[in-house]
Amino acid sequence: MDEILKKALDFSQYNQTLNLQRKLLKEKLDSTLTYGHGGGVFKIDRSLIVFVQMLIDRDRKNKIPLIDANNNPIMIDDLEKFRDEIFDRYFSATLEYLSEYEKIKKSRTVEKLVDL
Amino acid sequence: MKKGVVIFAHNSREVDYALTSVVSGFLAKKNLEVPVTLISDTSTVEWMDKSNIYDKALRVFENIIEVDRPVYENSRVLHDGINSKTVPFINANRSDVWKLTPYDRTLMIDSDFLIFSKELSEFWDSDVDLMISPAMRDLRGDRIGYHDIWVSDEGIPLYWATTVMFTKNSKTRLFFDLVSFIKKNYSLFSEIYRFRNTIYRNDISFSIAKHIFDGYEFIQNNHLPEVLTAQDKDLIHSFYDSGLRILLSDPISESASSIVNLKGRDIHLMNKESIVRISQDILEKI
Repeated sequence: MDEILKKALDFSQYNQTLNLQRKLLKEKLDSTLTYGHGGGVFKIDRSLIVFVQMLIDRDRKNKIPLIDANNNPIMIDDLEKFRDEIFDRYFSATLEYLSEYEKIKKSRTVEKLVDL
Repeated sequence: MKKGVVIFAHNSREVDYALTSVVSGFLAKKNLEVPVTLISDTSTVEWMDKSNIYDKALRVFENIIEVDRPVYENSRVLHDGINSKTVPFINANRSDVWKLTPYDRTLMIDSDFLIFSKELSEFWDSDVDLMISPAMRDLRGDRIGYHDIWVSDEGIPLYWATTVMFTKNSKTRLFFDLVSFIKKNYSLFSEIYRFRNTIYRNDISFSIAKHIFDGYEFIQNNHLPEVLTAQDKDLIHSFYDSGLRILLSDPISESASSIVNLKGRDIHLMNKESIVRISQDILEKI
């Protein structure tokens, strides 16, 4: 019984660390996707990217007002440049997220989870 | 527009804030890539010299501004893991930052706030004149008390003056003058806002000033990010170039129950002694 309990407690500790690392990784992704531009602060997400691309596809490329994460209207002078910057930031952040997520998913001990 | 970070440090008998400010300043300069200014007092600067960190401080800080040591001396129980002691702390002159900062756009941080990311860089060019962190985020997630969120039982939301960013202009001058006024009349404001005034807290003065400044409303946006915080019962396990490993205390047993690897995240470490213990590892990089 003691052995079963020990195994259960060890597994519980492993899971606690795994959940914390996952939570921190997601928070890190969110912070990396915070993007300051033109006096505003934007949260880069799929809807912002799609909306910006849609505007560009409809030939709205210059002097476009966008609403930032604080609900402030921000004039974007060059929307294609803005799109390229948020694309780059989004893909580098999500690729890093994927790589670190895969790493912790494969870690089977607390030591490996925290890279010790 | 010149941008930079400002850190205040006044040593107490128990905590080497000079040392923690060099650590914090080094990481801020490295990761935000802006100059850093230290605001301190003569005895703290002399201590830097005696403890052989003054040369490192000169490499980290663009300016070391000496001011009179604040007369307010608070004390509080500070944990270091399972140990605790009552320590004095001297931090009542933050409202002077507007007059003292050499920068047009300033990020003021606590000396126990360690920057490992570029997130705060995204706010330098914001049109918002004054930004404060609206909340503390516990590293474990389940150790936040009521008075970490509210100024008092009946009071207003508590802002965390651990990180404050502002543009030097007449509007922000008014704000910092108001913080100063609240500090001078702390007892009166404790009656109005119904908080215990046994110790002076910058967070409370800044929260009241922000509340008044915003027209007695809690504005839901235009903030800095929440302050990710490790409690004073947590212990730093180890430092590496892009982060820290931290042993987290369990809220019930109070002993270290788990460990996290905090990579590329800014962190407010309430356990100052823990920063002091790992400082050599960081100072070697300066």
